[in-house]
Amino acid sequence: MKKITATIIKEWQLMRRDISGLLLLLVMPAALIIVMALIQDAPFKDYQELRFDLLLADNDHGRLARQITDGLKQSKNFRIVDSIDGKPVTEQVVTKLLGDGKYKIGIVIPSGVTAEIVNSANIVVNDISRKTGMDARLPIRGMREQIYIHLYFDPVSKPAFRTAISSALDKYIAYSCSNILMQRLAMLSNDSNPASDTGNQENLRKVMQGICVKEEPLSDKAKYTQHLSSVQHNVPAWAIFGMFFIIIPIAGHMIREREDGSALRISLIPSAASYVAMGKIIFYTFICALQFMLMLCIGLWAMPLFGLPALFPGLHSWLLLPIAISIGFAATAYGFLVGTLFKTINQALPFGSVSIVILSAIGGIWVPVGILPHTMQLMAMASPLHWSLEAVNQVILRNGDLSSVMPAISILLISGAAFWLASILINNRRGNIA
Amino acid sequence: MSIAIEIKDIRKNYKDAWSPALDGFSFYVKPNQVAGLLGPNGAGKTTCINILCGLIKPDSGTAAIGGKDCIKDKAAIRSMIGMVPQQIALFGELTAMENFRYIGKLYGLENYKIKTHTQYLLGRLGLEKHANKRINAYSGGMKRRANIIASLLHEPELLILDEPTAGVDVQSRAMILEFLKEYRLQGKTILYTSHLMDEAEQICDEVVIIDEGRFIISGTPGDLIKNTTDCKRLEDVFLHFTGRSVRD
Repeated sequence: MKKITATIIKEWQLMRRDISGLLLLLVMPAALIIVMALIQDAPFKDYQELRFDLLLADNDHGRLARQITDGLKQSKNFRIVDSIDGKPVTEQVVTKLLGDGKYKIGIVIPSGVTAEIVNSANIVVNDISRKTGMDARLPIRGMREQIYIHLYFDPVSKPAFRTAISSALDKYIAYSCSNILMQRLAMLSNDSNPASDTGNQENLRKVMQGICVKEEPLSDKAKYTQHLSSVQHNVPAWAIFGMFFIIIPIAGHMIREREDGSALRISLIPSAASYVAMGKIIFYTFICALQFMLMLCIGLWAMPLFGLPALFPGLHSWLLLPIAISIGFAATAYGFLVGTLFKTINQALPFGSVSIVILSAIGGIWVPVGILPHTMQLMAMASPLHWSLEAVNQVILRNGDLSSVMPAISILLISGAAFWLASILINNRRGNIA
Repeated sequence: MSIAIEIKDIRKNYKDAWSPALDGFSFYVKPNQVAGLLGPNGAGKTTCINILCGLIKPDSGTAAIGGKDCIKDKAAIRSMIGMVPQQIALFGELTAMENFRYIGKLYGLENYKIKTHTQYLLGRLGLEKHANKRINAYSGGMKRRANIIASLLHEPELLILDEPTAGVDVQSRAMILEFLKEYRLQGKTILYTSHLMDEAEQICDEVVIIDEGRFIISGTPGDLIKNTTDCKRLEDVFLHFTGRSVRD
């Protein structure tokens, strides 16, 4: 134990004198977390939280246009712009301003669209009344070909954004059409009892709103489940990314110690090598865990200073400590493998850095794994960063308990042990002094 | 207790090497002696030392220190020997004292022993004023002396030095040689390699000349000079047996 403690003290003495290494381990991930959370704040927000200027060219001036406008105004997403400099917006203005990138969305409601819907509704009502033996005859004319409400987007808009906006508009249009149809039906019944007009319309409104969609929590604890926000994703993701950068000082020290002969000195001391290795593993794992906790503190207390929400650490936040230790062990052991594989710092450091970037990309650090193609999702399983993020997300997003994080923790510990074993085997095979 | 070194018919071939590093090399060092292992570059001196320290395995032959096999009894061998490698095998960013404390701990020494012994060695090798300076801030001579101290913390019975005075100034060299003589007087055995023949002549009881992995000759410096034609110094003897051609 004294030998392990001596190694831990020695590593600490080396680290505290390596200011640039300390900055790399602590300040860089902190800066990365804050910058990435700020940059990704908007893309992570739900569309409901965002507000867009929407150009509206109303050539119809009828009920449909009015109902669409009212619906859009009630939604928090849109601010309707139907005139510019006192002049009504036209289709030409819509296409020009969107083409210039000044607006994101434009709607052009063609002339006569309300009349067409009313005509269609009258046809339906007359058909019903004929079949039920009533003699209502609402005025009709021949149906036109399909009429389109034109929707324009800024060319740089993402497909997901377009789909969301189209769906919202479809909803308003469907609602307006049903409303008009119901009003025509109400008129049919009012012919026999005009006094009941208000009551019928109210009943129809209730019928229309009778079946709705409402999101429910999975369980009581899920009431606290967090939505994937910029802070909830970026703080753990980039903290894990930063933790794996521990491989830079580890591999660097290992190679330097081989080059300057201090590794030879250790190997000449009877049975010291295994204690030294254990001391290093414990020290760097502790540093990783400390680094992770510091990053969580930034998420908890520094993020609100930048106008972002504070990190929610989950209902079982104590689990983050064993998770951080498991991640630290996997990262440290990977550092040992890189330090063993390469003979020079010039080989090890670029490989180490690039491999972390690749493992983080396939592991879901940059974008959630769920939106990656199937093959990439399978590849993600091979990345220890994926299991690291999975374990943390179980706690901070899904309020998972010990049993739910154990699989990821086990995989991280097994990965660490595998990296460790591989470095011992390679070392023995090469006859390196470690 | 003083211990002897015995190497018998050692052969060692490195992968991709065009000739064997050691080719049936044998020698014996009596206890409580300073023995010089001398040879040109690539003669096989460092390979021989590495085999004695259990760092590499010979292809054939035996190597023993104090009757213990260098390959089978690595742990016992390593506790008996103090090895001063050619490189400054210390942590440059740590102070000398931090290095010695750490190395002492790895040898399993108690704090008081590390402290008293380190203070004695620092004083003896002229580093007491610099004990709390980082090794990287030391001069070449100071680094060499610190390198020797680190190998003596556990008071080994056998001290193996691989060119301990390479690149040091005259004063440091004199201090190191003086110290080695004194150390030998404590009943220790010393095996030492060097290119500097005058140095070997000065401190060695016996020298072994090795070339191309083979034993050439051994004896006391005085006997070798006396018994070799037209030789007045050990360097003449060395050139007589190893030739004047430059080695790769």
